[in-house]
This record gives sequence, C-alpha cells and structure tokens, in this order.
Amino acid sequence: MRYVIIGSSAAGAQAAEELCALDKDSKIVVVSQEGYPPYSRCLISRYADGRLLESDLYFKTKDFFKKCGVEENLHTTAAKIDRAAKKLICENAKEIEYDKLLIATGARPRFPKIDGLDLSGVTCFHSLDDAYRVAESVAFVKEAVVVGAGFVGLEAAYALTRLGIKVTVVERCSQILPNQLDIIASKIIQRDLEELGVEVILNESLISINGTESVYDVTTADKAHIKCEFVVIATGITPNKELAEQAGLDTDRGILVDEFLMTSDANIFAAGDCIEIQDVSTGKRTLSATWFNAVLQAKFASHNMAGGRRRYTGAVGIQNAVQFHQIPAISFGKTLIEDESSDGYEVISIHSGNVYKKLVLKEDKICGMIFVGDIAKSGFYAALIRQEVDVSKYRDKLLDQDFSYAYFKDENFGQMDPYKTIPACWGSPVWWLQRAQCMGIGS
Amino acid sequence: MKRLMVKLERCSGCKRCELACMEEHSAQKNYCLATLGAPEPKTRIFVESINDRPMPVVCRHCNEPLCVSACMAGCMQKDPVTGIVNNMGHEQQCVGCWMCIMACPYGVINPSFDVAQTGKNAFAQALKCDFCPERETPACVVACPNDVLEAEEIKE
Repeated sequence: MRYVIIGSSAAGAQAAEELCALDKDSKIVVVSQEGYPPYSRCLISRYADGRLLESDLYFKTKDFFKKCGVEENLHTTAAKIDRAAKKLICENAKEIEYDKLLIATGARPRFPKIDGLDLSGVTCFHSLDDAYRVAESVAFVKEAVVVGAGFVGLEAAYALTRLGIKVTVVERCSQILPNQLDIIASKIIQRDLEELGVEVILNESLISINGTESVYDVTTADKAHIKCEFVVIATGITPNKELAEQAGLDTDRGILVDEFLMTSDANIFAAGDCIEIQDVSTGKRTLSATWFNAVLQAKFASHNMAGGRRRYTGAVGIQNAVQFHQIPAISFGKTLIEDESSDGYEVISIHSGNVYKKLVLKEDKICGMIFVGDIAKSGFYAALIRQEVDVSKYRDKLLDQDFSYAYFKDENFGQMDPYKTIPACWGSPVWWLQRAQCMGIGS
Repeated sequence: MKRLMVKLERCSGCKRCELACMEEHSAQKNYCLATLGAPEPKTRIFVESINDRPMPVVCRHCNEPLCVSACMAGCMQKDPVTGIVNNMGHEQQCVGCWMCIMACPYGVINPSFDVAQTGKNAFAQALKCDFCPERETPACVVACPNDVLEAEEIKE
C-alpha cells in the first residue's frame, strides 16, 4: 500500500507513526509545506520568550520520519488531488501516487479586514516562522498590541510580557476567551494576566494599523490611538479545506467526514483542524482546533486507512487546558449557555476566590465543565461528558471534594480493569466471624 | 509487563500507599522532611471513598492512553517494552500545559507548580504514577499492610 499524508503537524505525524506500526510493508509519503520536523504549534509562544529551546518543540524525535522510514517532502505544497488517477500533484510539479490519502492540512490564521496588515511589525502567531519573527523583533520593541483574546492571542501576550514588553490586548467581545470560558472564569484569568502587567481592552476592535514602513500605532473603533511597534493578529483560524473542495469532496465550513473519518471518496481520509466533527456535548457539527482531537482523529483515520473499521465517537469540540500565569483553567464541552432556563440545561457551580467550578447538565448527563484554579480530577468529569454517563444518582454530590472515579468503578472507559475480585474468605474478618457463629463456635 | 492490581475488599483505607508515594517521589525520600521543602509532596495514588468504603484509584498504564494522545509536548510516552506510561526521562520535557490532566478518565494525574518561582526555571509539571523506576516493586505495594496492592505480571 502507498499511503500519502498531507501535513506533518499533530495529525500528520501521528498518522505516519501509526501507519508505520500497522502496516510494515507499506510506503508512506509525507508532504509538508513547512521545513521543520514535526513541531508543537501550541508551544511556539514558549519558544518565543525563551522558556523552551527550539529542540524542545519537536514532539517526536528530530529524525522521526527517517526512523519510521517515511519519505518526507518538506517545503512542498500540495496543489491538486487527481482522484481518478489517484495522484497528488504538488506545486513543484511533483506527482505522488497514492492508494490511501490522508488530508491533514490543518488551519491557517484568519485576518480581519483592516488597513496596514502589510506593514513590517505585523504578524500572526501560528507557525515556528512566526515565533522566530517575534523572537527576532522583540529586541527593539517596547510596546505591542495583540488583536484577539483567544488562546493564541493570550499566549502571545503572555510571552511578550515575559520579554519585558508592554502589551495591550484588544478584544471585540465583552470577555477574554469568549469561546471557552464564561464571564466569571474569564474575569479570574483576566485578573491573573493583569497582575503581570498585561492591559486588556474589551468591547473594542481595530480599524487600522498605522505607520509608514513599520508600525507606529493602531487606531481603534473608538478613534483612540494606541502606540506600539509590534502587532500580533490572533483573530481566529480557518480550516484549509480548499484542496478537498477543488477535488470535489464534500465540504462545509471544514472537510466533511463520516464516523470512520472517511471523506466522500473512499480512498481519502481527513483528520485534524481541517475537518468538522460531530460534538457529543452539543449534538451539533462543529469545527475543532485542538491538539488532542487532531491526534485522536489521526489514530482512528490511520487504522481505517490500513483496512480497519474503527468508529471515531465521543468527540468534543471545545477541550482546552491552559495556564498563562499562575491560575490553571480547563474548559470542556458545552460551557456557554445563553439562557440557563432554556432547553433544559441546568448549571451547578461553586466559586470562592480564584477557585471556580461549573458543570452544565442536560437530561441527567453532564455536557460541559469549566474548572478554574483547581483542576484536579477534571479528566474524570471530561470522561463522563465524553461517554455520556448518567449521573442522576449523584446529582447533589457532583462538585463535592470527594466525588471521584470511585463512584463509577464499573465504568472502565475502554481500558484494563485493575480491580481484582477475590474469594470472600480473603476479604474481611467479618466473613470468618459469621461462619464461626454459624458453626456455633464462641457461643 | 507489570501492572498495579487492587484487591478492593481488603482495603481498610489507611492511606499508607499515599504516604509512601509522596515519600518516594520527594527529593528527601522522607515524608516529614519533604513537607518542609518545596514543592509540596503530592501523591500519585488516590484512596477515594464511596458509601463509607475506601477505594484506591490507580493509574492503569492504559493500552491506549489518552494522556499520551493529549500531550502536546510529546513527553508523555508509553514505553514499548515495559508498557509504563510516564512523562519523565524522555527527550521532550513536560511544560505543564495540563492537557493530560484533562484527558485522564480516572483523574490520577495532578498538576504541580511552584508559584514562588518564575522565569525559565519555573516548575510546572504533571505528576503521575511512574511505577517507581528506582525500585523493583512500587513503594505503595511495599507499604500496603493489607496486601491490597499487587504488582502483577499481565499479558496485553
């Protein structure tokens, strides 16, 4: 079999590794636009501010492709899929034949429609190249503006602040992390960042970036000017679905796949940020741009490419863990409800100081959680959401300190069971006492 | 491959396994001294309770570990030989992104960070059962007075 993988980030690298192990006689070809070994996109802010070295970003080993016997085509952009001839045509006119193709093209940053995006000192924050740009230019930068207070924006803001730059974050919504957190949680995280010196301006958007060659300042919708030499645009991402679209595969906002991660062509699979998934927590089809989902999808997709039939279920679109400064936070599943009384949603929460825990329930099942400050055991709650476990029996205990996996011992979540049943006589002395009484000993 | 097995009925909830775990994973190798130092000692095995009965919750070193899939730094790995899932002693280092904590269905991974330290050496790390690499038998198994825990050879 000839497997061709487009993309070498989370999904692409994982799929290459799995396919190597599954099908030893196969030929695997990876096509990647970038020129690096697989690196972790989520960690580039830690490289930019010097917390990590470049070598720490490689989440597989540096010679990973060579070790797996994978043919790598770096700096190569896939241009067209010829489905009839089962060929992938690259921009450098190279043609690669495939038996099974995996599209893991990921996503690209989305830019707002404002003036001055072409000035030097304006960058997005999506790839290692961007991190290099940030690390290089910080030496002469004193003030910076970050547009967008999502994860990428705040990671960038935190990294720049650590480098001693005065950072202003401009966010269109009325809170930071508007897709992941509710207002209480976002306030806690915002305060944590502000303590460090980051300035956050909410309900505000940029209308232009001004300067002659490099940035001089930015103008907001309020006609206020913020002086800065550096602007990071982090206003979201958009899936790279064009390749699939031009090949005539079904797409909507992202590439559409069935539960086996197969596209509308039986020889073409897709995984990662470029696809849409069926979210169990909301019941809707959604885009998902998280590392965890990309890796899981790649695992299932590669099994199915190698001839297996593994269903990819229990997907959740929003699953994020984060700690910018001192307060960790986790958000999982459906955390945002416009009106609590509508649609049968119920919310339980506790809040004291910097610790905030919230669960969203619907029909005896948990469908979303936000944990801030204390994130222990959050994975257990996440599993309850993923597996749609009925929690009605323990409704009033859900946020107790001692609520734990012990309550669901019989749920093994698909893994080995470590609990051994032993003969009752081994268990407790009570058993022996009862037997003794039966036999009339001691009476 | 060895795995921790639990004979639930025998557990009396004395939590000696938790203490032994904290001790083993502290720099001082002594519980009392470890409580004085930083970071605060934390256990990687948990004796929870349900209906007034104790129940140890342990890492299963899963066959398909979700924590490994979730790790964005690539440091959480399953050893192909021993089958032990661990985030220490690999080429990549744990950066404290807490994705594994969100992924583990049993809730046996915990965050550890030292708020006093900042800068490059800021200590942030996910803590999980590493099956005590320096010992033949894990410390919790040795410490258990009721023979609840057992490191058993299993086939996968």
